[in-house]
Amino acid sequence: MRDTTARRVVVTGLGAVSSLGIGAHTFAAGIREGRSGVSPIRGFDASGFPRTMAGEVHDFEPRSILRRLDPEQWGRSGLFAASAARLALEDADIDPALVSRAHTGSAIGTTSGESAVIEQLTEQWVKDSFKRLDPAAIRKVPASQIATAVNAELGLSGEAQTIATACSASNYALGYAYDMVRSGEADFMFSGGADSINRWAHAGFYRLGALAESVCRPFDAHRSGILTAEGGVALLLEPLDHAVARGARIYAEVLGYGVNCDAQHPVSPDPSSIAECIRAAHRNANVEPDQIDYICAHGTGTPTNDATEVKAVREVFGDRLPPISSIKSAIGHTMGAASGFGALMCCLALYEGFLPPTANVTETDPALGPGVDPVPGTARPAAPRIVQNHGFAFGGNNAITILGRAA
Amino acid sequence: MSTLTAPVTTVTPLLITGTGVLSSAGQGLGTLQPSLSSGDAPRADLSQISDDLPPIALQAVADLNAEEYLGGKGIRHLDRTTKLALVACARALAGLPVPLTDHDKPRTGVVIGTSTGSIRSSSEFSRDTLVQEKPYLVRANLFPNSVMNCCAGQIAIRSKLRGVNATIAGGRLSSLNAIRYARNAIAGGHVDRALVGGVEELCPQSAWGWHLSKALSGEAAVGEGCAVFMVERPEDAAAAGRPALAQVLACEVSSAGAGVHHVSLAAALTQCVERALRRSEVSADQVSAVSLGCSGHVGLERIEERGVRGALGALPDRTLRITQRLGETFSASGSLQLAALLAAWQEEPGKDEVALVTSVGTEGNVGCLVVRSPSAPLSD
Repeated sequence: MRDTTARRVVVTGLGAVSSLGIGAHTFAAGIREGRSGVSPIRGFDASGFPRTMAGEVHDFEPRSILRRLDPEQWGRSGLFAASAARLALEDADIDPALVSRAHTGSAIGTTSGESAVIEQLTEQWVKDSFKRLDPAAIRKVPASQIATAVNAELGLSGEAQTIATACSASNYALGYAYDMVRSGEADFMFSGGADSINRWAHAGFYRLGALAESVCRPFDAHRSGILTAEGGVALLLEPLDHAVARGARIYAEVLGYGVNCDAQHPVSPDPSSIAECIRAAHRNANVEPDQIDYICAHGTGTPTNDATEVKAVREVFGDRLPPISSIKSAIGHTMGAASGFGALMCCLALYEGFLPPTANVTETDPALGPGVDPVPGTARPAAPRIVQNHGFAFGGNNAITILGRAA
Repeated sequence: MSTLTAPVTTVTPLLITGTGVLSSAGQGLGTLQPSLSSGDAPRADLSQISDDLPPIALQAVADLNAEEYLGGKGIRHLDRTTKLALVACARALAGLPVPLTDHDKPRTGVVIGTSTGSIRSSSEFSRDTLVQEKPYLVRANLFPNSVMNCCAGQIAIRSKLRGVNATIAGGRLSSLNAIRYARNAIAGGHVDRALVGGVEELCPQSAWGWHLSKALSGEAAVGEGCAVFMVERPEDAAAAGRPALAQVLACEVSSAGAGVHHVSLAAALTQCVERALRRSEVSADQVSAVSLGCSGHVGLERIEERGVRGALGALPDRTLRITQRLGETFSASGSLQLAALLAAWQEEPGKDEVALVTSVGTEGNVGCLVVRSPSAPLSD
């Protein structure tokens, strides 16, 4: 049931700190070209691992982006989030003082919080003992610091919600932020996600048999799994009326979202439940399946994900599958930031008129059935009007957002 | 600009119709009643948690007995955070006067406040990458425990609750942030009701963290626990035949970021309380109870009290300081503060009272929840 008195909500600023570069437009250019952000791991000693490639952000210099935060006082994930939000604010070309004075908050998704800090402390524990843990590092541990970093960097005084719903967290955050602006709880919201490369996730995914050797190719017959990755992403959400009044560049309108839970298995996703989540998102956004022009897939690169995701999409769309591509092919799985990067690409696809590609695809897996168009290779010119963005997670946590071209 | 409104509108009340509580005081709301003293609580055997704990006061949940509530199947690999929350949720669901139907469950959400998930699970999983012969020789079946949403996902799996399933990391504000998230999920029509609360596990990693960071005063203990609440719309609760244990009015939170001066942090809490009262259509002089969160916390204790006094003029006669009994329960503190109020109302049925649950975090976050005792007439 849509409240007709509610405000319409648009995205007017985009920020990215990614393995493809700093800034939303640099990131998006890499995605469109089908470029790879994957490289040998430097963030931790990967020498004992059979798989040593990941989507790492090598050229991240928080001091060159941040104006208020002292990078020494914050964890890597918080710095990713704060930097992406700073970039989104600059991209929106709005008076920062106006945003700071208004009722503005943040909702940022994450899977493993300040995992790099936790691993630093764990090393101290292993090498010595708990007695030797560094108190300065201890203070950086709470995952709440991620959204708090955004508020601190931008001088915001609204709420700071860190949403830790694993790999669908950024979509959870976008949905919540949308509701806050829509209902008038907030004037502006920064939504996004952040996660850092860490040994434990790399080891965990390897042991699950889910890690690819060096190339991630979702939907391809020769896919071999995921690549772990990191980064930060932020979207500035603003009321449509306000954006129009100030002559803002409007990338897209947030139309709605759906969230649900498989409630079946911690790591094995359920297609029927995902199909229900898609329907819930469509109801919330007041759109029909035949209006969806493109799906930004969860698309991790594992055979299980592809089969499950395509089956779920078939349940809703029948024989007419919209083009469905995965940007994880280029940057790997950025975990809690993944659906935020997806949302960012959806905004630019709507604004600039293209479909983001699945890089590295040479042969679409025939086992997925007919009509699967993963937009192989490089971006395709197109004029999508309404798109949907998928995020699924351990715990059976599904979240799907719907975005539309600004009218 | 005219289009920037963020109006201070009145919130629609929600009802609490069920609770599941466990802490070092014991299990069940009754264990938090003000008439009980800490001497009544069962003593926990800390050696079951770890033999490497710091030399500070620690208070654990005694006799967790997860098997009793959850059956033996599949719980061996679960960590303490998840077990605490699973037992709390099982108690909340089993204690509903009218249980959820199969029709209700797909429309029921789970929102859990936890600052880091089980920091013990993450840290021990990470440790294996350093101490095993090969860094990848971790135990795959423990991998989900290292992810923060493990607990909320397990609750959904065990109870077949298929609505929104959110994990909210808000530091000391985790429980209040979770209640705020749940309110929006219900108001936005994503679910009809939710199990919402906060959980904190006592483990060597966090206990040593508290000890080394010197954030707590000398006599304050580090505790653990979990409290969850079934919250639903008044009309749905009435239709189902579930009476209210309390009304949830406004839940306001804000964050100005770390480094905020103490004076302005107290002022931020005052503003937060005032906004929460306006949105609840309650005046400051109607508030006759407050459940504080920061007792025993160096610096924060006085900031919180100053912030509340700034809004109310003085601390009310009934000022609960549950952390004095339970220790610092961090992510669970807000939900245990709320449980303590419900326990007080349980001892005085018929009392009409408006109360605040307040919280302040070192990172500059503040929050205020307004609740009303069940005997008060529902605003319509």
